[in-house]
Amino acid sequence: MNENIIQVPDKSGISKIMREIAGDLLRQQTISLVIGWEKGILPNKSAPAFITQSQDAEKLIFDEYCYHNLTKYLLQRKGSGLKTAIFVKGCDSRSLVGLIQDNQIAREDICIIGISCPGLMEERNIVIPAKKCEICYTSVPVEYDFLIDCPETKTANDEPGGSYAHRELPRVENMTLDQRNIYWQKMFENCIRCYACRNTCPVCSCKECCFDQANPTWLGKGNSTSDNGFYHLVRAMHVAGRCVGCGECERVCPMNLPVMLLNNKLSLSIEELFDEPPASLSLDVTATLNHFKPDDPEEFM
Amino acid sequence: MRKIAKTRIDDVLRALAPRYDLYVPVEGATTMRTPTATLWQEGLENASRFRLYEEGLPLYWRTNTGLSPKDLFFPQTEKMYTAISQGKTVEIKEESTNAWPIILFGVRSCDIASIDCMDRVFLQKGYEDTYYKNRRQRTLIFALGCSTHEDTCFCTSMGIDPKASPTADVQISDLGDAFGFTAQSPSGQQILASIDSLMSDAYTAQPVSPDPMLINVNLEGVTEKLETMFDHPLWDELSPRCIGCGTCTFLCPTCYCFDINHKSPTHAHIVKQRSWDSCMFVDYTCMAGGHNPRPSKTERVRNRFLDKLLYNRQRHGRVFCVGCGRCVSKCPVSLEIATVIQKIQAAEVTP
Repeated sequence: MNENIIQVPDKSGISKIMREIAGDLLRQQTISLVIGWEKGILPNKSAPAFITQSQDAEKLIFDEYCYHNLTKYLLQRKGSGLKTAIFVKGCDSRSLVGLIQDNQIAREDICIIGISCPGLMEERNIVIPAKKCEICYTSVPVEYDFLIDCPETKTANDEPGGSYAHRELPRVENMTLDQRNIYWQKMFENCIRCYACRNTCPVCSCKECCFDQANPTWLGKGNSTSDNGFYHLVRAMHVAGRCVGCGECERVCPMNLPVMLLNNKLSLSIEELFDEPPASLSLDVTATLNHFKPDDPEEFM
Repeated sequence: MRKIAKTRIDDVLRALAPRYDLYVPVEGATTMRTPTATLWQEGLENASRFRLYEEGLPLYWRTNTGLSPKDLFFPQTEKMYTAISQGKTVEIKEESTNAWPIILFGVRSCDIASIDCMDRVFLQKGYEDTYYKNRRQRTLIFALGCSTHEDTCFCTSMGIDPKASPTADVQISDLGDAFGFTAQSPSGQQILASIDSLMSDAYTAQPVSPDPMLINVNLEGVTEKLETMFDHPLWDELSPRCIGCGTCTFLCPTCYCFDINHKSPTHAHIVKQRSWDSCMFVDYTCMAGGHNPRPSKTERVRNRFLDKLLYNRQRHGRVFCVGCGRCVSKCPVSLEIATVIQKIQAAEVTP
């Protein structure tokens, strides 16, 4: 694997290597699509890019606004048999492992180009690290075919949940019952149910979501605190044990709601209960809730 | 023009609040990220929006609000009627209407233009929507001219003047340390007269002008060009990026689609309601037999932008984008209308 690790002098050199690798892959015609990032309409905006022609590889960039976890896009290619190359940061690589383990994508159909991530910045306040970086558990991709290694790689948290879980979770957990009730009521009240959190989530891979079903209607289109709470709690339980903590759900929320808090709490609870590593850190380790052992704890049953 | 110091704006609001349902732009609490804040008291961090005035609310005067004021006329979920069955009869209870006047205070030019769009849809196409009309006709609008803008704003590209809204009842101008008030309608004049004692003269004051906007798009010829672009490969190129969420449509001040559904609190009792729907959702066009005429993202993305830039111009006489920048700011993948207009302008079409 070592010849596939490319050192760059600093983070500004990442984009150039990305273009070279993507251009080469498309020229060799083994890959028909490269998914990466391009510059958006403003300096603090980057956007997902879909490159099919080698000459378009020049559009690719990597900067501190490349928040997007691109791995969900691979589901669009599911079953097509076409090969795709995809750029991933450390956090994104874990969701890729999850998708492969869930048989959503085949490892041989994708070429993973990892970027050891120098960290992202908050879009609205360009000196504050992005919130999703607070839960960073691995800034170096866990699975890759090529790795663009940058000396400025961000130091990841040595515990799952990171500083976010240490700051936000205890604060909510230490509230009185009434306060906590108001806290969640407020969150659900403010949700506009745009489903951005679900649609961007790389482990929400169902072809048809139960919340979109009309017959039976599990959840109507009406917006109310209780319906919104139902949505968030069901979603949290659906992704429990598979959430990789990429933080996309909270990043995309147009109402700035603390969406990842529930997922974070569940991930930590699972780890505490079963004493196994967080989900999707390696292709060889099955996620905690995807297998069982005779001596699994069951005090919650 | 009459003026009042910005620090005394609460005096004006306090004077108006007892006589009107007074909606003012309120900040989304932003204290959530400071580790020491007891956030449950301040509320969660969320988008700034219009709320009913209460003393002590953190008012937001900087730029347009995160959520547009459209939900005041067209709530996300609105009760239409209740049906109660008793034996063999069904009793229909209409929602009661209200005549109490509303003031929408501090609306930006872009959002006032969007209210014009909504009026065209709900009031001016031969059918008057009673639910919309009931709120709209008792609303007085106090426009607030912009003295600054968000990076994402581009109203000037859409032909809107950020400092002036001639259709508003009152135009408020940002004079730096004061707000200047100019009546633009008889009702506006009446209200201003009632609070005149709070204000002083501002004959020579000049409103502060915002800096040139960072996003400039050229709308010229876009509608005409789109007429030929239904089958253009551009839509295949744009659509893979879309994640199919409803952020753009729910934040857009001119998106007006709704779904009619009901709730049954008991088996003998249903509440009919309408709720915002989004053309970006898969189930939006899904029909009873399961057929979906817009089966993929390509059709859905194409529909959204043709709707904004072409169909509404044909149907309602104007482009349904007001350059408020909310989709630019909040689209999770930056597939927003400013970028799309640029791509349409750059697209090659074979004559």
